[in-house]
Amino acid sequence: MSALRLQHIQRHILPENQTMAGSLGTLTTHVLNTGMGVPAANVALVLYRQDSSTNAWTLITSGTTNDDGRCPGLITKEQFTAGVYKLHFETAQYWASMGETSFYPYVEIVFTINDPEQKYHVPLLLSRFSYSTYRGS
Amino acid sequence: MAAAVSSPLTTHVLNTGDGIPASKMAVTLHRLDSELKIWNMLGVGTTNEDGRCSGLISQEAFTSGMYKLRFETGSYWESRGQTSFFPYVEVVFTITDPGQRFHLPLLMSQFSYSTYRGS
Repeated sequence: MSALRLQHIQRHILPENQTMAGSLGTLTTHVLNTGMGVPAANVALVLYRQDSSTNAWTLITSGTTNDDGRCPGLITKEQFTAGVYKLHFETAQYWASMGETSFYPYVEIVFTINDPEQKYHVPLLLSRFSYSTYRGS
Repeated sequence: MAAAVSSPLTTHVLNTGDGIPASKMAVTLHRLDSELKIWNMLGVGTTNEDGRCSGLISQEAFTSGMYKLRFETGSYWESRGQTSFFPYVEVVFTITDPGQRFHLPLLMSQFSYSTYRGS
C-alpha cells in the first residue's frame, strides 16, 4: 500500500467524538407523548442560554419537533459554549392541537453545560398531567 | 388540640438517586399576575424530614390562575457535596378549580426529575 494511500486512510480514523472540524459536542432533545405512546410531533420549542453577567436569557434557536419528536439543529458547535441553558416547550399548545387540556401551560427545563465537548441529550417525556426529563444519550 | 388546616396545594420532594426524602430544600410558590405578566411570590418554605412542605398557601389565597413552584434543587445537591445537571426546577401549572386539592410531587436525582399531579 502506498504511503499516500495510508495517509488518506489514517485521516479517516479519528477518535470517536471528533470530526474533521473539531469535537462533536451537541445538544439534542426528544419529546415523547407517554399518554398515548407516540412521539410528540409539532411541539414548538425554544432554546435559550443565560447571559452570565446580566442573567438575561438569550434566544439561541426556536423550532418544532418533527414526526419523531426530535428537533435537529438546535445549536451549532460554535454556539455551544459552557453555561446555563433553558429549553422551553409549548406543551399546552401541543395538547390543545389534539383537543386536550393539560395541567401544565408549558414546560421549561433549565440545565448546566460544563463541558460543551460532550453530547447532551435532554428528552421530555410528557403526558397531560405529568412530565419527566433526564440527561440521556 | 388545634385543628391543622392544610394547604390545598402540597408537594413532596424525593431524592430518587439516594432513595430518601429530600429534606431542607427551599421551595417557593408564585402566581402569575395575568395583567402585568409578572410572577408574584406567595409563599416560601423548606421541606421537612419527610421531604414535604406544608403551608405553602391558604385556601383563601388559592384562586384560579397560573402558578409556579420553584425548587432549589441545585442548592440541595450542593449541600450534599454532589453536582447536578439542573441548577433548579420550576414547575408551572394551571389551576382552574381551586376547590380541589393539588399534590405536586417532585422525584429527582442528580441527572433527572419528574413531576405529576398526584393525590
